[in-house]
Amino acid sequence: MSNNLTHAPVEAADRLAAREPVEYMGVVGDMTERKRADEERLALARKLEESNAKLEEAQRVAHVGHWEWDLETNEVVWSDETYRIFGLKPQERAMNFAAVREMVHPDDRESLYGGVDVDLSVGAYPVAEFRIVRPSGEFRTVHAITSKRWSAPPVDSNGEASERARKLFGTVQDITENKRVEEERQALSRDLQESNARLEQAQRLVHMGYYEWNLMTGRVTWSAELYRIYGLSPQDGPIDMALVSEMIHPDDRERVFRESDEAIHSGVPASAEHRVIRPDGEVRSVHGLGTVKRDATGRACEMFGTVQDITDRKRAEEALQRSQLELRREQAYLAEAQGLTHTGSWAANFLTGQNHHVSDEIYRLHGFDPSKGPLSADSFYKTIHPDDEPVVWGIITNASHARTDFEVPEYRICRPDGTIRLLRAIGHHSPSGEMGEYVGITMDITERKRAETERERLRQLEADLARVNRVNLMGELAAALAHEIKQPITASVTSANALLRWLAHDPPDLDRARAAASRIEEDANRAADVIDSLRSFYKTGTPTERRIINVKEIIEQMSGLLSGEADRHTITIYSEVDPDTPNILTNPVQLQQVFMNLMLNAIEAMKDIGGTLTIRSRINPEKHLFVSISDTGIGLPTGSVERVFEPFHTTKPQGTGMGLTITRSIVESYGGRVWATANQGGGATLHFNLPCRGDAPV
Amino acid sequence: MKSSAVPTVFIVDDDGGVRRAVQDLVESVGLRAESFATGQEFLNKKRNSDPSCLVLDVRLPQMSGLEFQQMLADVGMQIPIIFITAHGDIPMSVRALKSGAVEFLTKPFRDQDLLDAIQQALQRDRAAREQQDEVHQLYGRYLALTARERAVMGLVVSGMLNKQIASEIGISEATVKIHRGNVMQKMQAGSLIELVRIADKLKPVLP
Repeated sequence: MSNNLTHAPVEAADRLAAREPVEYMGVVGDMTERKRADEERLALARKLEESNAKLEEAQRVAHVGHWEWDLETNEVVWSDETYRIFGLKPQERAMNFAAVREMVHPDDRESLYGGVDVDLSVGAYPVAEFRIVRPSGEFRTVHAITSKRWSAPPVDSNGEASERARKLFGTVQDITENKRVEEERQALSRDLQESNARLEQAQRLVHMGYYEWNLMTGRVTWSAELYRIYGLSPQDGPIDMALVSEMIHPDDRERVFRESDEAIHSGVPASAEHRVIRPDGEVRSVHGLGTVKRDATGRACEMFGTVQDITDRKRAEEALQRSQLELRREQAYLAEAQGLTHTGSWAANFLTGQNHHVSDEIYRLHGFDPSKGPLSADSFYKTIHPDDEPVVWGIITNASHARTDFEVPEYRICRPDGTIRLLRAIGHHSPSGEMGEYVGITMDITERKRAETERERLRQLEADLARVNRVNLMGELAAALAHEIKQPITASVTSANALLRWLAHDPPDLDRARAAASRIEEDANRAADVIDSLRSFYKTGTPTERRIINVKEIIEQMSGLLSGEADRHTITIYSEVDPDTPNILTNPVQLQQVFMNLMLNAIEAMKDIGGTLTIRSRINPEKHLFVSISDTGIGLPTGSVERVFEPFHTTKPQGTGMGLTITRSIVESYGGRVWATANQGGGATLHFNLPCRGDAPV
Repeated sequence: MKSSAVPTVFIVDDDGGVRRAVQDLVESVGLRAESFATGQEFLNKKRNSDPSCLVLDVRLPQMSGLEFQQMLADVGMQIPIIFITAHGDIPMSVRALKSGAVEFLTKPFRDQDLLDAIQQALQRDRAAREQQDEVHQLYGRYLALTARERAVMGLVVSGMLNKQIASEIGISEATVKIHRGNVMQKMQAGSLIELVRIADKLKPVLP
């Protein structure tokens, strides 16, 4: 039909289908065949009527009306549908611009009519969407198109409007429903997008992705999060089961597929925890779920499921388990420590008599079995010795009221088995600040107390023994000196006998007799000297008195004194005294005692076999006096060489076993040290060092 | 040897006073005395064949008296020893006496005890020297025997009869008798008993 049009752009007709019937109005005058004019006119009139009816119908169905607006008269002609759109009965009344304008929603009037002139002058046909107000008050949204062609004046040869339009023609369509549907669609689409985004977000948050596995085609679809879980990106392309299989940890692969096979066959949802190896090598733990969808025939056609990355959760769980383990271990350590130190911990309120915490050790300290269930605070209180009760409660009550810490230094309890133990309790006023709230410890000090008493007794004993030792040493000394005295006495006695014999000669040999007499005098003086040296040894003062002592002299003196004792056991004494041997500030008697003990000890070690005793002395790099006394005797006891310093360690039948112990306590009291080493060729060496106190001139 | 020879008493003591006093005492009874501070000095002294004895202090520097006694025995120097000590104990004296000491005196000793011990020691030395001289003489006679005579003498003193000796050595009984007669004559033995006694004395020096 377009070839019948004289001057209508084809595309305009196409664009506005609703206007098509109108075009026919313009072909009426083009008919030329007169002969069949009437017939044709009739036919045309019929056709036109039909067309009009169809147009009406079409307009009604499409909710499209048309209108004509005479710009000069401002008369407006509406089609029936236009009336309906405006909520009026068709052709209810004649319309004009003012009436139409009145029906346009006040807010839209300005924008609708404001551009009319401009639109016309530029020859455009405006498309407008605006609201109208029906007489019922109902708002409708309409879409109006103003036809350029029919609104414009006749055009020139170029098809351009040359004059201002006199009439506007156009259509109006009620798009309220469309608009609503569109809005709803948009809202829906927005919602869908939003919920997709939220789903995406949620998947990402819980590290859960989903998949669809078409069991017919083998096609696998993954959500974006699932890609991420597998260390991939949705851009990496489609997924197939071979790839999935490859990325599952080899140790888990068989189990995962067995699980899914079972799900496919039995219909029970699949559930498997397994590991995934990401392309970068990272191993993740995931939990997969899958349900199988079946078609109408009951055949499994698709598996749908979720995969959740539980690596972090697993790690957290493991860390938690570890820290729980750690906590349990620490608790065990604490219990062990409490057991070892006989110290228990508690938290209690003394005013309410409530125990918040009582460690197992507290039970044990009081003679209760912690495994036999908790005991009331009263059970513990009842164990307090009646004589100590007033003191204990006095301290605790005072502290409770003053809200201060307390200590019960020592109190007795009677255990259920009747044994008496000595306890000490320390309470720290609880930070909660409530009256009577305390945390604290209770320790069993029975053993400690006993040990203290014992130590005091031992200290006393040691002091006694040191005295005994010194007396013994004096005895040893006297024995040694006896030898020294016997020599001059023997000499003088022998000389006296010789003298007598010279006098008995006939004639008496007076010269020899005189010589003998002078030797007697000499030897007697020698004996007196020995006795003097012994006296000097005895009168060297009290142990606390200190003097600067020439160590070389002491060594000489001691070697001399003990040479007799050494001889008796065929022992030779050597001394290797370095000329630099320093003098030291000390008590002479105690230093002699040290030498005497160590030398007698060495002699004792060689008593039955004889040997060599060597005394060495020098100054060591720390400017300490260093002395060593070596023997070639039986050597040190096997095991710890330190044992020789232990009290009562003795190898002699009559020994006190205190000699070296006393030596050590003397040396250590001067800030020195004694130790023993085994000699390579047998025997032992005892060493000691003593600080010189710096001020002692060498 | 000649009994007129003056015996010598050697004294070893590191204590000069004791040393000089003992020497003076010994000289006061007409004996010769020589004293030394150490055992080594004594060893260096060339001794003659006169009887002698040694007064030895137990306590000596470096080597004790008892060790010195052992050393003398080891090198075969036979001299009677009297020990003197400032503090002797019983085990020490037992040990000394077992090793052949004449006496063990503790200082200060009675002069007569020492002098008696010295006389006893010199007597022992004298006897030892005489015995040594006799063995020396007998050994000279023994050296005069032929090898066969020595063999026969060995078998005779072991108590064998002539017949047994003949079969042992593989010679006639008559020949044994001749050898036996030579032995008795050369060894100056009057009887079999005497020959056995001579053989006993010679035993320490025979191979």
